[in-house]
Amino acid sequence: MYVTSLDERFFAEQMTRGRMLRLGAVSALGVVAAGCGGSSSKSSGSASATGRSSDPVTLNWLTWSDHYANDQLAAVKKSTNEQGRPQLFSDNADAYLKIKQTGDQFDIVSGDALWVPKYNHDKLTNSFDLSSLPVSAQLYSIARDFPFWKDGSNYMGYPFSWSTVQIYYNPKFVHTVPDSWHAVLDPKYRGKVSLENIPTDMMAIAGKATGAKEPYSMTTAEIADAKGWLKQFKPNVLKLASQNNEVVRALADGSAWIGITNLGTDDRVKDAGGPVVKPAYPREGTIGFIDSEQMVKASKNQDAFPRFINAMQQAPYIAQNFLTNGRPLFNEKSYKMLVAQGHGDRAQRLLYNQPEKALKMTLKGPSGNEQAYTDAFNEVFGA
Amino acid sequence: MRPPGSVGAATTADAPLPSRRASGRWSSRLGQYAGFGPALVLFGLFFLVPLGLIVCYSFWQVIDYNVVHDWTIGNYRYFFSVPTYVSTLWATVWVAVLATALTLLIAFPFAYWLARYVPKRLQKILLVLVILPFWTSYLLRVYSWLTILGPKGAVNRFLEWTGATSKPVSFFLYDRPAVVLVLVYLYFPFAALTLYASLERFDWNQFRAAMDLGATPARAMWKILLPQVRPGMTTAVIFVFIPILGEYLTPQLVGGARGVMIGNLIVNFFQGAQYTRGAAAALLIAALIVLLLVIFRRSLEVEDVYGA
Repeated sequence: MYVTSLDERFFAEQMTRGRMLRLGAVSALGVVAAGCGGSSSKSSGSASATGRSSDPVTLNWLTWSDHYANDQLAAVKKSTNEQGRPQLFSDNADAYLKIKQTGDQFDIVSGDALWVPKYNHDKLTNSFDLSSLPVSAQLYSIARDFPFWKDGSNYMGYPFSWSTVQIYYNPKFVHTVPDSWHAVLDPKYRGKVSLENIPTDMMAIAGKATGAKEPYSMTTAEIADAKGWLKQFKPNVLKLASQNNEVVRALADGSAWIGITNLGTDDRVKDAGGPVVKPAYPREGTIGFIDSEQMVKASKNQDAFPRFINAMQQAPYIAQNFLTNGRPLFNEKSYKMLVAQGHGDRAQRLLYNQPEKALKMTLKGPSGNEQAYTDAFNEVFGA
Repeated sequence: MRPPGSVGAATTADAPLPSRRASGRWSSRLGQYAGFGPALVLFGLFFLVPLGLIVCYSFWQVIDYNVVHDWTIGNYRYFFSVPTYVSTLWATVWVAVLATALTLLIAFPFAYWLARYVPKRLQKILLVLVILPFWTSYLLRVYSWLTILGPKGAVNRFLEWTGATSKPVSFFLYDRPAVVLVLVYLYFPFAALTLYASLERFDWNQFRAAMDLGATPARAMWKILLPQVRPGMTTAVIFVFIPILGEYLTPQLVGGARGVMIGNLIVNFFQGAQYTRGAAAALLIAALIVLLLVIFRRSLEVEDVYGA
């Protein structure tokens, strides 16, 4: 089988990043075969998760930038006749309302943790039989069993990646491990903390710091406490970045000593020619994401969804994605490939082999009062 | 008086046939407005209709991620009731004023020199150089300043090389001065081209005549040159000041937490799916811009430069 030879090549060669990228392109030819040769022989119902679309299909995909690579999309198009056309969004709330307002404009939406049931309950996405996708056999079993994504015997989304959002610090300047969210308030870090500009998540972090029971559904009093914490924090903020790479850049060039960001930042800073930065896990706990791919209910291309996901989620692509983006994913087969090729240390350091930790975080989800969150954030970070 | 393009002779010849005359008049009138058609479609469908929707949104509410069509002025009231928004709006206006003033201060001498002293064939080359930055994307032009102003950037390396500093200085980036500097860089071509177009048409003999009659160069410039290029200067101000009011990317990339402008807060509203709050804030900026255009309109009239 082609997929076997692909795997063998993957294991046999010393896998550098460049080689992996090239291999990703080559592996496209094997994607369909991977589906055919998967361990599951179950039918996907009305739509096949394998084979090739008879007519070209374009799938509009509302997603994050780390969910795909352009060469991967090109390879999947070649093998399935299905072209993924990503459009990026900046925050879950924004994506949710876009899907709600645009009807059948999008076919796939990348949902996050507790946003996934929100989409589903509001009838914006369809659940599906996860096992009908042969590629799902490559997932960690825990990822096939998240209780909050179950819809009877169906699943609400295809599990993709996860990460905590915690503190990374430069030990050259930060001599005490910042093991509490309150550590980042220290005046000696004035203008030295960088983080992504996601108001809801920053409010949730402030909620964790101030002891809110449910950081994504804070009461009015808890929101006031979180806002107070953010006010104390503001002088230390160097930059509210629009993309994660800006946080990495600030840590790499030394303008930031502390970053509040997701797993793998240490590697990305190193790759950017920056100093050693270390992770710290605040004792109050962390927030985090579990990303999925969901089928939009109003989509006119629902038949194409299983085939596209089955092709996009193959282990070689996921391994490549890990090396590029450096945060854990749910594809176990890809983890084993990484270990076999000598990337085990990195994968283990970034918790790739501990998917159960994903359930220990405060999961991202819709806020009980999004307006109050945004208002509070703006009122702190305005001029 | 017939409008240009009317066909008087043909109309007379068709006099015995009123229906044909009427249809000829209509087709003539349609012909006059045909050129307006594409712009009407473009701005009618893709500007005025969305603008109307934004107006509606600004009076609606978002409740539990649903845009609820209940009419309210709550979004506007909220904007003016929170000091942060008003202070951010003022900060934005001041940044726009300062950046516009600096841009004109740099662009005017350049355009003056180009129009008056540089030979025509070289003018074209220099004008191409002025618009050269437009060949790269806006994002790249802003992003490049991170490399120039950052701790490992060109400015810091130069200062360290000259011995002026012993370690990188963080003063240059992630604050309001960086925002102003980058905005001046970004909008200089708009001001320079507009001012050049105005100065290039100026009859320099008037300037010389004023000096022959005893005016100092400064007085000749003040009394003769500036009044005649005032429309050009006003246009330059409009082209620079107004887009800066709505700037989002530059403060986002180089402004840091201290360089926030009102555009950044509006983006936060949309990120948080607070479309109605965001629409109200965006419309307030638009209202400010319309108000300024009304004020500037008077300066665009050149006939009354000398009280004629």
